[in-house]
Amino acid sequence: MNTAAPDPDGSGWYEIRLQGRLDPRWEATFEGMTLTTGHGITRLVGPVVDQAALHGLLLRLRDIGLPLVSVCQVETAAEPCPPHHPDTTPRGA
Amino acid sequence: MPNPLVLTKLHIPEVRRGLVPRPRLVDGPARTSPLRLTLVSAPPGFGKTTLLASWAEAARAAGRAVAWVSLEETEQQPASFWRYVVTALDGAAPGVGAGALALLGSANPPVEAVLTLLLNDLSARPEGLDLVLDDYHLADGSAIADDVAFLLLHLPPHVHLVISTRADPALPLARLRARGELVEVRAAGLRFTVEEVAAYLNGVAGLNLTTSDIAALEGRTEGWIAALQLAALSLTGREDVAGFIEGFAGDDRYLVDYLVEEVIGRQPPEVRRFLLETSILERLSGPLCDAVTEQDDGRAMLERLDRSNLFVVPLDGTRHWYRYHHLFAEVLRTHLVTEAAGRVSDLHRRAARWYAVDAEPVPAVRHALAAGDLELAADVMERSAIGLLRQRQEATVRGWVDDLPAEVVRRRPVLAVGFIGSLMSTGDFRTVPGRLDELEHVLAEPPADLVVLEEHELARLPGAMETYRAALALVGGDAAGTVAHADLAISRAAPGDDLTVAAAAALSGLASWAGGELESAHRAYSLAVTGLERAGNISDVLGCSITLGDLRVTQGRLSDAERTYREALRLASVHEVDGPLRGEADMLVGLSQIALERNDIAAATAHLEQVAALGEGLGLPQHPYRWRVARARLLETEGDLSGAATLLEEAERVYVGDFSPDVCPVAARRARVLVRQGRLDEALDWARARQLTADDDLAYVREFEHLTLARILLCQKGADGAARAAAYGLLDRVRVAAEEGGRTGTLIEILALQALALHASPRRSDPQRALDTLTLALRLAEREGYARVFVGEGPPMADLLGALVRRDPGWRYPRRLLDAFAGVSPAAPRHGLVDPLSARELDVLRLLASDLSGPAIASELYVSLNTMRTHTKNVYAKLGVNERRAAVTKARELGLL
Repeated sequence: MNTAAPDPDGSGWYEIRLQGRLDPRWEATFEGMTLTTGHGITRLVGPVVDQAALHGLLLRLRDIGLPLVSVCQVETAAEPCPPHHPDTTPRGA
Repeated sequence: MPNPLVLTKLHIPEVRRGLVPRPRLVDGPARTSPLRLTLVSAPPGFGKTTLLASWAEAARAAGRAVAWVSLEETEQQPASFWRYVVTALDGAAPGVGAGALALLGSANPPVEAVLTLLLNDLSARPEGLDLVLDDYHLADGSAIADDVAFLLLHLPPHVHLVISTRADPALPLARLRARGELVEVRAAGLRFTVEEVAAYLNGVAGLNLTTSDIAALEGRTEGWIAALQLAALSLTGREDVAGFIEGFAGDDRYLVDYLVEEVIGRQPPEVRRFLLETSILERLSGPLCDAVTEQDDGRAMLERLDRSNLFVVPLDGTRHWYRYHHLFAEVLRTHLVTEAAGRVSDLHRRAARWYAVDAEPVPAVRHALAAGDLELAADVMERSAIGLLRQRQEATVRGWVDDLPAEVVRRRPVLAVGFIGSLMSTGDFRTVPGRLDELEHVLAEPPADLVVLEEHELARLPGAMETYRAALALVGGDAAGTVAHADLAISRAAPGDDLTVAAAAALSGLASWAGGELESAHRAYSLAVTGLERAGNISDVLGCSITLGDLRVTQGRLSDAERTYREALRLASVHEVDGPLRGEADMLVGLSQIALERNDIAAATAHLEQVAALGEGLGLPQHPYRWRVARARLLETEGDLSGAATLLEEAERVYVGDFSPDVCPVAARRARVLVRQGRLDEALDWARARQLTADDDLAYVREFEHLTLARILLCQKGADGAARAAAYGLLDRVRVAAEEGGRTGTLIEILALQALALHASPRRSDPQRALDTLTLALRLAEREGYARVFVGEGPPMADLLGALVRRDPGWRYPRRLLDAFAGVSPAAPRHGLVDPLSARELDVLRLLASDLSGPAIASELYVSLNTMRTHTKNVYAKLGVNERRAAVTKARELGLL
C-alpha cells in the first residue's frame, strides 16, 4: 500500500477514495487537492502538510457522509494506489 | 459573575410533527431499559438528534428530568464544556450544579473538584435524570475525554448519559459493554427499513408512490433519512415521478449533491439566493440574515423555509434562531463558492459586523477571520478582550492570540495587553516577558500606524503592564520583585483605575503573605479591598476579606478577624439585589471558625447551618473546601473522628487555592486527625511523603505542617528520647519564628504543645516549667477568649489546667477553660467501635466478605485500587485486625455483617 518513504510528520501526497461521485464543485473546499471521479468512486489527491492536516481533512469528509474507502500515501498524483475492488467493499456501515 | 451562555445550546429540540413512528427505536431497549450510557453513533443525516428528542420527550412524560446540551467546537475547551453541562443539569434539576458552577467561576477551575461536587449533588437527588450530549464529536478530544469518563463511571444509578456523535467517543466503551452498561444505536439500526420508507414517503410526505418506486428509493438511499427527505422534497408537486426516480436511481453521484441541486433548482430565485448567501452562518435569525443578504425579509424567509421543511432546524421555542441541517449547509456552501466566490468574503464581513454590534465577539471574530479581514477581527478583539477577561473567559481570548499575525498585534497596544492578560490567566507565561518588553518599546516610540480604538484605554496600560510584571515575579517566586512591581503599578495606574490598583495590591499582599510578612500583607489587602469596593466588585471584596480574616486569626487577633467578616457581611447586605451575594457564605464560615476557637460550639454550629441553608452556589471558589474543613473541626469536637476524616478527604478533592498560599494544607489537618485516631504510622507516612523532618529549614508556608510533624513525634508511643528531643527542638525553633513574625495565634498553639510535652516528661524539674509555659500561652490567649486550642488537647491539658488553678486560684481564665472540659462529652460509639465505620467503609466491608478480588471490589465501587486500599486499611484499623478474613470474622461478631 505505502509506496512513499515515510516522513516523520506524515507530510507528502495522499490519495483518498470515497464511495460515491462528488461533484467537481467540492474541489474548491478541499484546498490544494485534485478531485476526480469515475466508477462510482471519488478520488482526492494532493499534498498534505502533516498528520494534523490529514486528520482535519478526514473529519471534513466524515461530515459530508460519503463512505471512506481508502487512504494511502502516494509518490505523486500520477501514481495511484493499487486498483480498488468494489466487490470486496461491504455495503454501507 | 455572569458568563454569557448561548442558551439555544441548552434548548431541548421539539419533536417535529409528522414524524414516522419508529417504535423499534423510540420504545426499544435503549428507551425502556436505559443504561449508564446510551450511545447513538452514526454519520450525519441519520436522524440522531430526532431520535434523541423523541427519547427526551418520552423521558419527560415518564417523570424523568432531561438536561440537554447541543455541543459545538467551542466546547473543546474544558471550562466551556463543563459550564454548559453543569448549567444544563442545574436547569433540569435546580440546585444540582450550584456548587460546581461556583467553582467554574474561578480561574483555571479544577475539573476534578467540580465533578466531585456535581456527583455529590446528583447522588443526593434521587429523581431520575438524563444528560443528553448532542453532537459530542464536536467537543470530544483529550482535553475533556478523561473527565467525561470519570463522570460517566461515577454517575449514580438514577442518572444516565445519552450521547450522539459522528465518531465513537474516547470513552471506556469496551469496559461498559462488557459490564452490560452500554446501549448502542448505530447507523445500521438508524437506517429506515422499507416499511419506514413507505410510511415516510406515502404517509408523512403524502406522495402516493408505488411499491417498486419505494423499493428503488430505499435501495438508492440505503435508508438514509437525509436523502429520503430531500428526495421527498424533489418529488413533491412533480409530474413525472417515475422519470425522476429512474434518473435518480441510475445515477451514482453523491446523493445529497444530486438532491440538493434538484431542490434548490426548483426554488424561486430569491429563495435560492437567500439559501446560498446565508449558508455561511452557523445560526440564523431574521435580523442576522438581513444583515448578510442586505434584504429585509429574513424573518419571513426563515418562517417560509420552516413551513416548507427546507432543512432549517429551530433552535429555540420562539422560532427566533434556526440553523440549517449540517449536510444541506455543506452542499449549499459548495454552490456558493462556485457561483459567487468573490462575494463570500463580503458575506462573512457583514455577518462579523452584525455580531460585533450585537456584542457577540466570538462569532464576530470567526466571521471576520473567515472574511480574511484581520483588522476587523482585531477591532472586535480589542473592544471585547478586557470585558471577556473580567468575565473569566480567558480561554476565549487565549484562543485568539494565535489567530492574528504578530505585526497586527504590535500596532495595537490595548489588544496586546488583553492578549498578555489571557496568557497570564491561562498559565502560559513563556512569551509574556518578551511581549511586555516589546509593548514598552511601542509605547515609548509609537509607530505612525498605531491603532487605539478607545483613547482612554491607553492610560490604563502602564499600570496594567506593571501589574503583569508583578504577577510574573510572583509566579517566579520573587517576592521582593512582586512587591516592587506592584508598587510601580499602583503609582502608574491611571486616575480612577481602581481595579488595577486593587489587582496590584492583592499581588503584593500575596507575596507578603507567602513570606510570612502578615502585617504588610494585611496593609496591601486592605488597599485592594478599598479599590474593589470603589469599583463596585463586592464579591471580590468578600474574597479578599477571607484573606484579611485568615491573616488576623494567624496573628491571634480573633476580634479583629470577626470584625472583618461582619463588616464584609454588612457591605454585602447593602449591595444585595436579589438575595445574598456570592461570598456571604464564606464570611459565615469564617465566623463559625472564630466561634469554634472560643469553644462556642452552639454559635459555630449555627453559622454553619446558615451556610448550608445558603447552598454551595453562594460561595466563592474556595468555599467548598473551607466549609468542609470547618464542619470537620466541629465533628472533631463531637468526637466523630472518622466523620471528620471523611470530610477532610472530600475537602482535599475540592480544594481550590485561588492563588492563595496553602498555609494550612488540608492533608496536614487530616494527619492531625490520624494522630487523634492513634493511627501514627499513617500520619508518619504523610510526613514522609511531604518530606518533612525536624531539622528542616523553617519557612512560614510550612509552619502548619511542621507543627503537625511535632504533634506526631510527641505522640509516638515508646518514642525514644531522640524523637522527643527532635520534637522539642523543632517546637523551640518554630516558636522563635512565630514570635518574630507576630503570629500570636500560632504561638499560642506552640506554647500549649510545649506545656503538654513538659507535663509528660519524666524529668523532675519539668512540671513547674510546664505550668510556666502554659501561663505564657494563657496570657496571650485570654484577651481574645481562645479556648478550643486548649480544650481540644484532652485530659492531659485538663490535668495541667487543674494544676494551674491550684497554683493560682485567683485567675479565672484557666478555671473557665477547665469548666469547658466538662461540657464536652464524646459521642457514644456505635457497634461497640470507638471509631465507627463510614458508609463507604461498610460497602467495602460487605464486599470483603464476598469472594471478589481487590481489583474487582474497586471496580464494583467505581473507585481506584488505591482508594479501595485506603478504605480497606481504615476498616482493618477500626476493627483492630490486619487481614481480610479476621476483618470479616470480627465484623460478624459485632453484627456489622
